[in-house]
Amino acid sequence: MAQILVVDDSGTVRDEVCNFLRANGLAVASAMDGKDGLVKLKADSSIKLIISDVNMPNMDGLTMAEKIRTELNNSAVNIIMLTTENSPSMKERGKAAGIKGWIVKPFNGPAVISSIKKLSG
Amino acid sequence: MNNKNTLISKILVLDDGAVHLESQKAICEEWHLLGIKPQQGDIEAAMAILKSNVDLGGIMLYENYGNKTGMGLKLAREIHNFRPELPIFLRRDSVADVSGLDKKDAPMFRCVYTLNDLQVLRATLDDSIFNRIYPNDLVRGITEMTSAALQALFRNCDIDVETPYLVKDSIIYGEVFTMIAIESNWCRGYMMLQAEEDSVLNLISHRAGHESRIMTFRDLNNVLGEATNMVWGSFKNRYAGHANGHGLMQSQVPIVINHQHRYISFGSEDSQLCLKYSLRESNNVQTEPVSIYQRFVFNLNWSPDEFKDNATMESLLEAGELEFF
Repeated sequence: MAQILVVDDSGTVRDEVCNFLRANGLAVASAMDGKDGLVKLKADSSIKLIISDVNMPNMDGLTMAEKIRTELNNSAVNIIMLTTENSPSMKERGKAAGIKGWIVKPFNGPAVISSIKKLSG
Repeated sequence: MNNKNTLISKILVLDDGAVHLESQKAICEEWHLLGIKPQQGDIEAAMAILKSNVDLGGIMLYENYGNKTGMGLKLAREIHNFRPELPIFLRRDSVADVSGLDKKDAPMFRCVYTLNDLQVLRATLDDSIFNRIYPNDLVRGITEMTSAALQALFRNCDIDVETPYLVKDSIIYGEVFTMIAIESNWCRGYMMLQAEEDSVLNLISHRAGHESRIMTFRDLNNVLGEATNMVWGSFKNRYAGHANGHGLMQSQVPIVINHQHRYISFGSEDSQLCLKYSLRESNNVQTEPVSIYQRFVFNLNWSPDEFKDNATMESLLEAGELEFF
């Protein structure tokens, strides 16, 4: 049972984020794009936080977030974007989908752990 | 006039006239050309250099190269057949035109000049290599953002960047390359990262935490893909702005990739911006540096007058930090 779902099409990023979170005692699952993320979230009700990339094949991270809120009707799971994107319009779209935060890559482990604590605290 | 204060170009110099050595040096210095000369003045040595350098801007060729009458022309035919995208600047002894040459040979040369009058060579270098202005701020910014992305992925490495240069070559370096579209209201084209598989694979095998399993080309693909993604994101955030009216109506041209010849064409003959990054393990300075070549090919639109650096906007949010909504 995972607490955190990491969604990224880059295996390098998935490995790095998942390994770091596991090393910090967190239960982690991963998905390779937004479509896969939706499937994994539906199958595991213990997921409380999603850390997702924006630009991915098949389904991007923002569309996935919108579908989580609308189609899955799940407003409980927290979503953070971990992305190279930094455009105000994308952030606005993220806010509208109930995203809790935005992290610009590269991945900074301690900053993410601190963010998770803030979100859960 | 070009922005040669910052950008150079590598030129293969096939001109062994000792008397003209100083003139050649002066031309290279004036135009910020990095001259590469074969040890021996023969066709084999020249072609060997050509085969090992895939990032050239052009070729300066003497008609009677190797002190043999007409050898330069024979060499020109081989070069033109092998790398037709490279401009050849032919030096002749007395006449600055194609008189006396075979009609079929004349189109091979971008210009014909003599040492008595270098004006035509200057103008041709401007037109054929330095025909595109890459703003200094852009080149510097690209270097910074790419170094930062590579450093994030290769944390155990020191990264150096060579002086940026312009290339006309269309040959692909190494065995693996990534390519991503760059879109903005002032430039459109592609960015590529090119590398040799084994050397980068060896480098990522030494990344912390990966000693326990054997790395494959898929791991390499992932790392280079993510490096490309990070540079693309930084470029977009900093330079692309938020273009309106772009999208489905945008033009496209076919990209031709010839695997047999490791050749890629974007349909444009304009000089490409090339940067070479050398990665060396910090705790193992004896190892050979690993090269990653970065090329920018703005083949679909290039309007540097509208270039705008949004560095301030990007710096509002430091990489890796969370912005809460």
